[in-house]
Amino acid sequence: MDTLNELLNGFAAALTWQNLIFAFLGCLLGTVIGVLPGIGPVAGVALLIPLTLNMDPTGSIIMLCAIFYGTAYGGTITSVLLNTPGEAASAITTIDGHAMTKMGKAGAALTIAAIGSFVGGTIATLGLVAAAKPLGELGLLVGPPEFFALMVVGISLLVALAGKSMVKALISGALGLLISMVGIDPVAGAPRFTFGMDRLLDGVSFVAVIVGVFGLSEILSYRKGESTVVHAPGFRSLLPTGKEWRRSAPSMARGTGIGFGLGLIPGMTGSVASLLSYGAEKKFSKYRNELGKGAVEGVAGPETANNAHANAALIPLFTLGIPASPTIAVLMGAFLQQGLTPGPTLFTEHSEIAWAIIASLFIGNLLLVLLNVPLVGLWTSILRVPAPILTALILLFMVIGAYTINFSVFDVFVMIGFGLLGLALRHLEIPLAPMVLTLVLGPLMERSLRESLEISQGDFSIFLNRPISAVLIALGLLIICSPLLKLRKPKALTDDPET
Amino acid sequence: MTQSPARARPARSVLAGIAAFGALGGYVLVSSVGLGLWTSLGPGPGLFPFAMGAVLALMSVLWLLQELKRPSAAGEKADGGLVLAVVVSLLLLAALLDLLGFQLSMFLFLMYHLKIRGKRSWLSALLTALAGSVGAFYAFNYGLNVALPVSSIPVLNLIGL
Repeated sequence: MDTLNELLNGFAAALTWQNLIFAFLGCLLGTVIGVLPGIGPVAGVALLIPLTLNMDPTGSIIMLCAIFYGTAYGGTITSVLLNTPGEAASAITTIDGHAMTKMGKAGAALTIAAIGSFVGGTIATLGLVAAAKPLGELGLLVGPPEFFALMVVGISLLVALAGKSMVKALISGALGLLISMVGIDPVAGAPRFTFGMDRLLDGVSFVAVIVGVFGLSEILSYRKGESTVVHAPGFRSLLPTGKEWRRSAPSMARGTGIGFGLGLIPGMTGSVASLLSYGAEKKFSKYRNELGKGAVEGVAGPETANNAHANAALIPLFTLGIPASPTIAVLMGAFLQQGLTPGPTLFTEHSEIAWAIIASLFIGNLLLVLLNVPLVGLWTSILRVPAPILTALILLFMVIGAYTINFSVFDVFVMIGFGLLGLALRHLEIPLAPMVLTLVLGPLMERSLRESLEISQGDFSIFLNRPISAVLIALGLLIICSPLLKLRKPKALTDDPET
Repeated sequence: MTQSPARARPARSVLAGIAAFGALGGYVLVSSVGLGLWTSLGPGPGLFPFAMGAVLALMSVLWLLQELKRPSAAGEKADGGLVLAVVVSLLLLAALLDLLGFQLSMFLFLMYHLKIRGKRSWLSALLTALAGSVGAFYAFNYGLNVALPVSSIPVLNLIGL
């Protein structure tokens, strides 16, 4: 009953006209980012953080969350119409979605995808409502050793799942942690890795690093002849037939289950959810023989799964303060910028804000359906903007994003430097995802390690004497040692383009 | 990563990458010791970086061994001209941002990318560059209350740039 009351209060706060506008703008911007092939959700969310700096914390996080799940919707549009995924989690949708377009059923595919995303997103948000209180209370019982061990598991999972080489994933993770350590040491107050530069005493701007590594490096890695200019086909009707609705329902149910379950596990991305959902359709759908030839199940399942994943991934963030994927890590950075610490204390210290954000997730999912289906033509017209104009405008937003975080030109230079680093990492096929996660988690991880060792007066066995942390550390080690134990990764995880 | 049976030795860029990460790991290891690994109160500021430096150095060695055993194909090369044009123009923009102000420096930056590199028509380039510089300045300053830099040159400042 308490939860329901708090949720209703959350709705009252989220339904104020300012917050509705923020949610609407977030959905709009998220869809645009999802539609644009050159800019993914990680850089997109990071890039728009400065826009929200002067807003109140509730409005700012509502807008960024809407941007985050808006990208999942936007990515679908180009997958279906143009055979070009706007973002990685929608890549699998191109197979049947674009085949449906060729059959003149693009409208039906997009409507099914939007409704599936709405269903998956809404059910996952209901899961967040149900889990928030009990998991949050459990989280309050967790001490620094358990928190450290939990982060070790999260990072181990992402490292183990990212890319094809764990050695490279570990390099990426260590690099992120080192970057997060630049600045004044939080306990002893000693400057670390500042090279005598006063500007580095506060650390390296998180937004500048993310925009550089993910956004700028993407532009720098365009190859000759690559162009984002495409021509969208027209389509006849937006509405699917009764048969298509009936065929989609079981796929949406399976997609919701898969997306929700994977959203709870750190390291699993939306791409993995949609790939596994497509695999499930191949195995369980009554019409599996039609998959690949324009079957509606190939759109309904993966699209429901990636949105269920996007919303479910907020559960570990809200309740335990653990970001489950790179984009959620950026979102966590935005929480911290606003002075909010995601995790169990969010519900005790900023309960009204937390519930308003949760309520806004329901509203945002509804807004996206209302916004996306009728306006499909408008979204695709963005892609008709010539490539030089799109690139120039993206660079403009990158510069503004990096500058306005501290109102300092220094951060623009930082962004350029990290853009070049990102380009080198891409060339060397080093996955970028572990770096983002450790960049955000680094300071929290170091603090909990040092607090744990202070409690135990320097005795490392504290991590093994406490049952929860012992189990978690063992799990983390098992994950990291999985290549030595010859444990094989499912193919869907090896091919994950998001990592 | 695809293997290239024809190549017996690791790609030069891969070796350079391994050397860079190894050197960074070594540097971090040495400077962390200087920061202090342990104090009378417990772990020192250098402990965590030391561990990360060790991971970086160790992984670089493992990567090198993997490459020597089975060289991997280097990733696709980026378009050097594009990288140079974007990076140099961004560096110039950043260097001039406080001097010329956001509007003028961003206008020049956008004109370069739209007219010279993008070969857009004069009208299209001018309109987009004006919207992205003057338009963005007013939208951010007055719409979002986010102050973008104005010129430090008095004459330019006086005319609102």
